[in-house]
Amino acid sequence: MTLALTPEELDAIRLSLRVALWAMACSLPPAVLVALVLARGRFWGKALLDGIVHLPLVLPPVVTGYLLLLLFGRQGPLGRFFAEAFGLVFAFRWTGAALAAAIMGFPLMVRAIRLSLEAVDRRLEAAAATLGAGALGVFATVTLPLMLPGIIAGLILSFARSFGEFGATITFVSNIPGETETLPLAIYAFTQAPGGDPMALRLTLVSVAVSMSALLAAELLARRLARKLAPA
Amino acid sequence: MSTPPRAVLAVLGLAAALLLALAPAAPARAEDGSLLVFAAASLKNALDAVDAAYAKASGRKAVASYAASSALAKQIAAGAPADLFISADEDWMDYLAARRLIEPTTRSDLLGNALVLVAPAANHPAPVAIAPGFPLALLLGDGRLAMADPKSVPAGKYGKAALERLGVWATVAGRIAPAANVRAALLLVARGEAPYGIVYRTDAAAEPEVAIVGSFPAASHPPILYPVAVTTASKNPDAARYLAFLRSDAARAAFRAQGFTVLE
Repeated sequence: MTLALTPEELDAIRLSLRVALWAMACSLPPAVLVALVLARGRFWGKALLDGIVHLPLVLPPVVTGYLLLLLFGRQGPLGRFFAEAFGLVFAFRWTGAALAAAIMGFPLMVRAIRLSLEAVDRRLEAAAATLGAGALGVFATVTLPLMLPGIIAGLILSFARSFGEFGATITFVSNIPGETETLPLAIYAFTQAPGGDPMALRLTLVSVAVSMSALLAAELLARRLARKLAPA
Repeated sequence: MSTPPRAVLAVLGLAAALLLALAPAAPARAEDGSLLVFAAASLKNALDAVDAAYAKASGRKAVASYAASSALAKQIAAGAPADLFISADEDWMDYLAARRLIEPTTRSDLLGNALVLVAPAANHPAPVAIAPGFPLALLLGDGRLAMADPKSVPAGKYGKAALERLGVWATVAGRIAPAANVRAALLLVARGEAPYGIVYRTDAAAEPEVAIVGSFPAASHPPILYPVAVTTASKNPDAARYLAFLRSDAARAAFRAQGFTVLE
């Protein structure tokens, strides 16, 4: 079995990286917002919001994919809105794969950010306020830097989850080579075709390598940051 | 973090021991000796009816697992404990036969089917004349043609063969939405996500949200045959009885009701 990758395999790897990176980047701002609301907010319906955020973690991925099809497909209410308002089409496009990946990774990102947010010493924020910083200034210069280990962890977890996303993707946007055939879908397609095992194995090795690198990077970054932010 | 108290460790150890003791030494098989049938996704409605009739006639249960024939064949090759396999094409049955995973004396062709072009019923679609060189790419517009994955799933392979024979494949090869199985392709058309799809006639009949707009001539693709066989791994004595039941009048009526052609 040669380790050289065919063009189709390279396509799948490139697409997977693109989808996972976009999913990770675009879910960061809403994840920070939701984490803030859940950690610090006190309002009716907070438990409901918490539940909805965690749904993709608990629902079978195929169900999540089906819901995405109903909502964001060409005939879906949100799909039509995005197509008309922003020209953004999700059905059968890599943007749909990115959306599915982002939704599946969202609860993991929120949890990680919320955990580190709750560990932030509020007295430091109060001190900054007494020294004249506005709410936004406090957030930007005190809270955010202290949350950074959690944000990094959240980004890596979301990336890893997005990189491995299968069920929701294949149900929502099907398996289109070059457009929605990410690494897991390509591995699946190769395992279904007779004689596709060498390609499936190669892609599995790549998958493991990428995931391990992401996890190691996250661990190193988190440790470095923790050392920097530790009380002197 | 302090080490957990002894009691907690003892409970965990006991739970682990219990789980290991209860884990079956043999591969899992269907409970209470019921038959496990791996069947192509397109057989869902028909075989459910047949299995209900089987349960009533013989008092024994048959449980069916539906997926693309490619997925099922690979699972059987990996050791899945199916008693029977009903494939949607000969290739995947040949795949298992080559690996000596089916009993060759029990293999026979059970059913036939036809390939149709469908569109969402809500669009009130106009009929399409399926002839060599028909303008499928034009009809698709900026939408995609939903079909089972042409690389491995029988319904997709038949569809690709038909489009190739009609000289249309090259124009639409880049506009396909390959689905995991024929029922997933049917869903895409039923939801209106894909303007057209290629499925079996029996699938179109089972789904009220799609309308048949054209039929592929039988000469344009290899004959659609559903072979059935008992697996070599099967230890269930009911397998032979179930196989015979598949050819009984009750079963034939159920298959015909869904639109399948029953082969002699």
